[in-house]
Amino acid sequence: MEAFIDIVLFGFLILTAIAIMRLRNLFAVVMLSGVFSLLSAGLFVVMDAVDVAFTEAAVGAGISTVLMLGTMAMTSREEKPPVHNRLFSFAIAVVVGAALIYGTTDMPPFGAADTPVHQHVGPDYIERTPKEIGVPNIVTAVLASYRGFDTLGEVAVIFTAGIAVIVLLHGRTRPARSADARKKGKDA
Amino acid sequence: MNVSLDLVLDIASWISFGLGAFFLIVGAFGMIRLPDFWSRLHAAGVIDTLGAELIVLGMLFQAGFTIVAVKLLLIGAFVFLTSPTGTHAVANAAYVAGLRPLGLTRDDTGGTKTDKGA
Amino acid sequence: MMFTAAMFALAVAMLLVLVRLFAGPTLYDRVLALNSFGTVTVLLIGVVGFMTERPDFLDIALLYALINFVGTIAILKFFRYKDLGQGLPEGEDPASLQNGDSK
Repeated sequence: MEAFIDIVLFGFLILTAIAIMRLRNLFAVVMLSGVFSLLSAGLFVVMDAVDVAFTEAAVGAGISTVLMLGTMAMTSREEKPPVHNRLFSFAIAVVVGAALIYGTTDMPPFGAADTPVHQHVGPDYIERTPKEIGVPNIVTAVLASYRGFDTLGEVAVIFTAGIAVIVLLHGRTRPARSADARKKGKDA
Repeated sequence: MNVSLDLVLDIASWISFGLGAFFLIVGAFGMIRLPDFWSRLHAAGVIDTLGAELIVLGMLFQAGFTIVAVKLLLIGAFVFLTSPTGTHAVANAAYVAGLRPLGLTRDDTGGTKTDKGA
Repeated sequence: MMFTAAMFALAVAMLLVLVRLFAGPTLYDRVLALNSFGTVTVLLIGVVGFMTERPDFLDIALLYALINFVGTIAILKFFRYKDLGQGLPEGEDPASLQNGDSK
């Protein structure tokens, strides 16, 4: 049954990607990229990666839609026709895609317990978290306690990025307003 | 006793899911088949309220008195409040932008003060 | 079993709404379809959670229900004011901002 959900969601994902490529109207593209991240978050849910799905839902479907709309307020609404050779881009995309798919053949099967990742520090965390931290969710314990400073740094980076984006999006109105004020001052 | 209660809940869930699925599919077909934006609003309304709420109700019967039921009630309440609000906002934006029902010219709707066009 | 039936209905509804989302023709059709698609996705996540007997997934469905609303309102606000509203000093007409830009 899960295979059916996977196939349906991946099918929708591919349809959405093709539509995003073919549409020239940037509004429609923004909306479809929202749909794209909704669908990929659904896939993460099916694969039990609930925390990733949370992030994808909040960032992909929510924040980035709003940010892209805010960006579009300063640019045009239609995509310009491409100036470079399409065949060349297509060839690059095919080669990179083939390389990535070839790479997946070396990956362990989905959900396998005996992968190298699960042999290294994972068992340690699983063993020590209940004793040392006492939080039921081990991922939370790792993020907030064992790697607390790391997470603090990440939060600082994200906060800085947020401030930078707000400054950029506000930058446009300030000169206009001050020019207005100057004009009024001259008139008076 | 417990078995019969489970059976009743299962039947209630089946009925809710069946009706919800019916309304979802009817609404989705309406989105495809109806001729213009204003009539498609009705189809979207069917999906967002009746279809969604019935599916949530069906899940609610299966959840029992747990935290899951509370979350389902919250989802139901949010969908019930936000979907019609969103649909109204879409209709309002379309009206302000000058979109008019099929077969009507602009004057038939009696343009109002907010009718700036775009 | 009943969750499977509900999921099939949701998948069909998703496909049809997605077709409307691709086809347009106006932007408002697309926003409307996006709103409905979000609602259906919320339901799908809930139903999948029940089907795999892990109803904890409902947290995400709840988050989606809220994000979906915020996204729809942001898009519509943008349509109406050609901006997310941050650039409008009080009492200024949205049209004047457009003119100011084109200078």
